Amino acid sequence: MRKILIVDDSVSMRQMVGFTLRQGGYEVIEAEHGQDALNKLAAVMVDLILTDLNMPVMDGITLIRNVRKQPALKSKPILMLTTEGLAAKKEEGKAAGATGWIVKPFDPDKLLQTLAKVLP
Amino acid sequence: MIPTSYCKPWPRCCHNAMKIDLSQFRQTFLLESADHIASMETGLLHLRSAPDDAELLNSIFRSAHSIKGGAGSFGMKNLAQFTHSLENLLDRMRSLEMKATDEVIGVLLRSIDVLRNLLDADADAAMPADALKLIECIAALMHVESTQAAAVPEDSHQQDSPEPAANAREVNLYKVEFRPDRELFSSGTNPIVLLRNLAAMGTVSCCHLHAEELPTLADLDAEQCYLSWSVELASVCAEAELREVFEFVEHLAEIRISRSVAPPQPSSAPAQSSTAAAKLAERSASDDQLAIIERRKSPVDDRRQSAVVDRRQLSAKTTAGGESGSIRVAIDKVDRLIDLVGELVIAHVMTAQMVEDFEPSCLPKLREAVAAMERNTRELHERVMAVRMLPVGTLFQKYTRTVYDIAQSTGKQIRLELRGEDTEIDKSMLELLGDPMTHLVRNAADHGIEAPEVRLAAGKPAEGVIKLNAFHRAGRIVIEGSDDGAGIDTEVVRRKAIERGLIGSEAQLSNEQLNMLIFEPGFSTKTEISDLSGRGVGMDVVKRNVQQMNGTVNLISEKGRGSTVTIELPLTLAILEGLLVRVGDRTLVLPLLSVIETVPLRDDKIVRLAEKGEVVVIREESIPLLRLTRFLGLTKEAASAGISARENGNRRLAVIVEAGRRKVGLVVDELLGQQQVVVKSLERNLHRIGGLMGATILGDGRVAPIVDVTGLGALDLFSLQVPVNNSQQVAPPAQSVRAAKTTERNRGGTAHELV
Repeated sequence: MRKILIVDDSVSMRQMVGFTLRQGGYEVIEAEHGQDALNKLAAVMVDLILTDLNMPVMDGITLIRNVRKQPALKSKPILMLTTEGLAAKKEEGKAAGATGWIVKPFDPDKLLQTLAKVLP
Repeated sequence: MIPTSYCKPWPRCCHNAMKIDLSQFRQTFLLESADHIASMETGLLHLRSAPDDAELLNSIFRSAHSIKGGAGSFGMKNLAQFTHSLENLLDRMRSLEMKATDEVIGVLLRSIDVLRNLLDADADAAMPADALKLIECIAALMHVESTQAAAVPEDSHQQDSPEPAANAREVNLYKVEFRPDRELFSSGTNPIVLLRNLAAMGTVSCCHLHAEELPTLADLDAEQCYLSWSVELASVCAEAELREVFEFVEHLAEIRISRSVAPPQPSSAPAQSSTAAAKLAERSASDDQLAIIERRKSPVDDRRQSAVVDRRQLSAKTTAGGESGSIRVAIDKVDRLIDLVGELVIAHVMTAQMVEDFEPSCLPKLREAVAAMERNTRELHERVMAVRMLPVGTLFQKYTRTVYDIAQSTGKQIRLELRGEDTEIDKSMLELLGDPMTHLVRNAADHGIEAPEVRLAAGKPAEGVIKLNAFHRAGRIVIEGSDDGAGIDTEVVRRKAIERGLIGSEAQLSNEQLNMLIFEPGFSTKTEISDLSGRGVGMDVVKRNVQQMNGTVNLISEKGRGSTVTIELPLTLAILEGLLVRVGDRTLVLPLLSVIETVPLRDDKIVRLAEKGEVVVIREESIPLLRLTRFLGLTKEAASAGISARENGNRRLAVIVEAGRRKVGLVVDELLGQQQVVVKSLERNLHRIGGLMGATILGDGRVAPIVDVTGLGALDLFSLQVPVNNSQQVAPPAQSVRAAKTTERNRGGTAHELV
């Protein structure tokens, strides 16, 4: 089963995304923020990282940069959860090395489609 | 929404028939958002004193952002739209394009209220007027502040992005060229996945791999992409749909799509949007028709409709109930509980073992085991109660806003000082405290603290201070609210009380007694009613709510110096350290905390005041006596049951209790001991019975009523009112005893129903 790491500080968002992914047949690991995600990535291999951008402790952009610096994670697909209207953030994420993005409001079907789009 | 016209689902999307229901997470979202809103509010209030605090702004922004994200996902359009405009403003502030001026913070704080309302509002309702107004306000603020005058929503492209060509269902032949940059891999993109997705859009007739740029092995950097592809495929999809495959790599690749066969119909953008517009028009027309039909049906369907509404309200209520019914508990508290339950299980196993192989010599061991179990149970009890405890700070924090609002609207300068915010208090009490505390704080800010010029004239600093403090004292929680304002003018109180008929015009009352009068129903010393704390009701609500929690309120005020209101509450409503007493053949529980002492009561110690009741004199103090037999409405036989003729009357005891602020002696036949009792509410089964705060179940299974000792303090109040009826002076203790007896008799009947 493919493993996906969700990084989001919002419990409800993690619940929703997690639920959708499990329904879609994925295994889910959750992290509360970038640092938490890095800690978890050090212990577990995942197939894809799905991260929010605005988070306390370590934001999504920093997380993406960090992941891209690690040889083992360099080519890992990373999707960022962005919000319309924050085009600058999206560009920043792209520059940092995000594979793709999902625009909130969150739509379960769209999420699964997008995953299929980037997962090998 | 998923565009309906995807010619084929994405390869892995064979589960597209599955309907994913996310409504189950709505509750979490609502709770989470309420937290976000609260922390935004606190943050904004802090921002006033630290307008440049970047981290603070960031966290406020993050909160707004989170709410917006969730709101969209749950279809709460209004909330999403509103937070969007809020977020724009906050983003400006965050990027230092705007300053956190008082005006801006004011608007943001008002937005907090709107957010709260929107969170509760029906998702389908129209945007409330106050929200629209604030959105305009925010736009105006940003317009003024920003040189770009860009209050235009930046997401306008969002609505029309994935609208595909409406009717291009013919098969087209496409040639797609995909030339990634060398850096493609740095984004974690796998080109094979993209090609596979492209292939899924139609039938591939030809695929070329261009490897010309591939260097020699020595020069090859495995992390770079040297390859490119051109694909020919036949597809019913529009060009834009094919392009979407490469959505994420547009900045990392050159993508060229050309059509080898011209489409029969041009699918230009204007054509699309006009189709969309036509569709919309069509839909709204059919909506109108529907509306007409419904209107025609309406007389018949009225009832059904209202039934539907009822049901909806009902379900809304259930949700609301679910919300208030939940509680968040720190993990360490839960862990400790689990430990304790573990110990209890072990203790039980040990005891059971001993009972199994019992022989008389085991008795001491068994006793020990039972004692251990008791210790465990008691601790478990306490810990479980602790789960319900919340820091009072969560309540106190709220008043920063209240005070701010009043200061803003009245032009006063008020500072709120909070202390003892970590003091924990039972959750249900915290909820009950909300209203009375609001009244107190509003009163202090609105009526207590004077206008700056008045204060300066009185030699006080222009800024008034309201202090809230919470602490433990002698097994009770004390909450103190004080202000350094004008204090209470006892003369005004007296006048008012006479006007309202609360006291006789000749009544001689101490200042303290006069002050307590403001807790009487319908009493307000402020002649004009302000829009913030304006009400004639208020302080009586404070008193009633506090008494409901078996607590007491006290007021000390000095004209010109300020007032202090002290609320004393028991630690918890659910358990009580009780003194078990026997009255006749009944067992009663007295809350131990209110018991001062117990004295033997010989008949010759009782002083009977003609027509006025009885007092007992202890250390030169006359204490009114209350016969619990009558209080409970016991018959003579029942009252004398269990008392042999020999000891009749002479072995009685008076339990001196603190009832409100006075002492009362309760006449009992015997002290049975002291134990923790679980308070069961009577109201669930019987109506509220004056003088009783509930009942408990004793070890032998009998029900014992618990005397509401604090409630006996209501007699105080009664005695104050006596002069009105009798046009006499204020009641001496004895008279209040008589008053007590009246109540006693009134209550006797109802109490009897229970016992």
